Amino acid sequence: MSALNATMTARDARLALCHDCRKLVPIPPETGAGFCPRCGSSLHFRKPESLNRTWALVLTALVLSFPANILPIMKVSFLGNSSSSTIMDGIIYFFQEGSYGIGLVILTASILVPCFKIICMLLILLSIHFRWQSWLHHKAILFRIIEFIGRWSMLDIFVISLLQVLVNFTNITTISADSAAPYFAGVVLSTMFAAITFDPRLLWDAGISTRPQQSR
Amino acid sequence: MVANIANPDPEPELDLNQLMACPGCDLLLKKVAPAPGERIYCPRCDEVLHTSKKNTVDNSLALSLTGLLLFPFAIFLPIMTLDTMGLKNTGTIFDGVISTWNSGYFFVALILALTSIIFPLIKLLLLAYISLNLKFSRVPRHLPALLRAYIHLDEWGMLEVFMIGILVTIIKMHHMANIHYDIGFFCFIALMAAALGSSITLDKEEFWVEIEKGKKF
Repeated sequence: MSALNATMTARDARLALCHDCRKLVPIPPETGAGFCPRCGSSLHFRKPESLNRTWALVLTALVLSFPANILPIMKVSFLGNSSSSTIMDGIIYFFQEGSYGIGLVILTASILVPCFKIICMLLILLSIHFRWQSWLHHKAILFRIIEFIGRWSMLDIFVISLLQVLVNFTNITTISADSAAPYFAGVVLSTMFAAITFDPRLLWDAGISTRPQQSR
Repeated sequence: MVANIANPDPEPELDLNQLMACPGCDLLLKKVAPAPGERIYCPRCDEVLHTSKKNTVDNSLALSLTGLLLFPFAIFLPIMTLDTMGLKNTGTIFDGVISTWNSGYFFVALILALTSIIFPLIKLLLLAYISLNLKFSRVPRHLPALLRAYIHLDEWGMLEVFMIGILVTIIKMHHMANIHYDIGFFCFIALMAAALGSSITLDKEEFWVEIEKGKKF
């Protein structure tokens, strides 16, 4: 793989990379818009309104993560007594039972991954705003990790839906979803959408823009 | 494997057929086709530029058809039976959506239905249809739009996450009740493997090139 020039980007050459099919298409820099001749998708040098949309979604996720963790996510009733548990209660239960492996899986998918995604997206967004140019390569890797792990947080929702079906012995014991479930699903969705609306090329734009550019 | 190319062209002519750009950092690069089955990375940010797959059309067609065949059995047949104190309870994937809906969490039920049933089904249908057309070198007018739809839906089908969910449920319940695995359990594992395989064997770049070649409009 060889670059034409250490910092020359497709935008510098007035070429837009199609978001969907990755074809390079020349578009006029004045409008910065067009349509891909191969797949019909609309073209832009960068994803439109990327920073605004990503900020909105990350902040949404941050707000929703409070009710998602404070409210109970699962309700277990046994012989008429019902008890509700939050995500953290469920994890603590597993650790007390000695099921460390499963506790660790739930801890990772339901708490560590959503926290990691929100904190890292904030870090990446702030570093673009304040043009922190160090660790560029690491931030790019961080974003790819965020993109990859996004969907795995749905795990807890799937587990609860299965338990709800299987542990359904009327009058003896039942399990059902509780009030935190929609908020938790909301956190997962908004972080996934944040990864979709974010354009990682902005990191590199912010990083190299203070250096003299040879062509525009 | 990183494909290496010696001597970067000192005076690049901007011939679009000779160029590619990194989707991760927008660096302009000389176009290189990876050897079959290999992968190339961006030299600046290490983003994967292209993962070449052998026989992508045939494999994606075969695996997506397999997935479609298994789909109704995996979703509607009971996956397991819980047996405790003489009481038995059986559940299917579909029941999970229904019972979440019935408990009043409509938003959660909708997300469940989309990510575990509807999107995986649409993905398999799209991929089977697209690869069937490419197999016979037919490119109908709507094919690019369908492949774009597939690309956008890609990460929203979560069968493999659901698979881990089933495993976690089993581990959660196994000391409280006897668990019997039913036919749907094995169908779901096979469906998950076929669906995962069909997206792994898909070489999107190759599909786009085929579409561009066969385009007559």
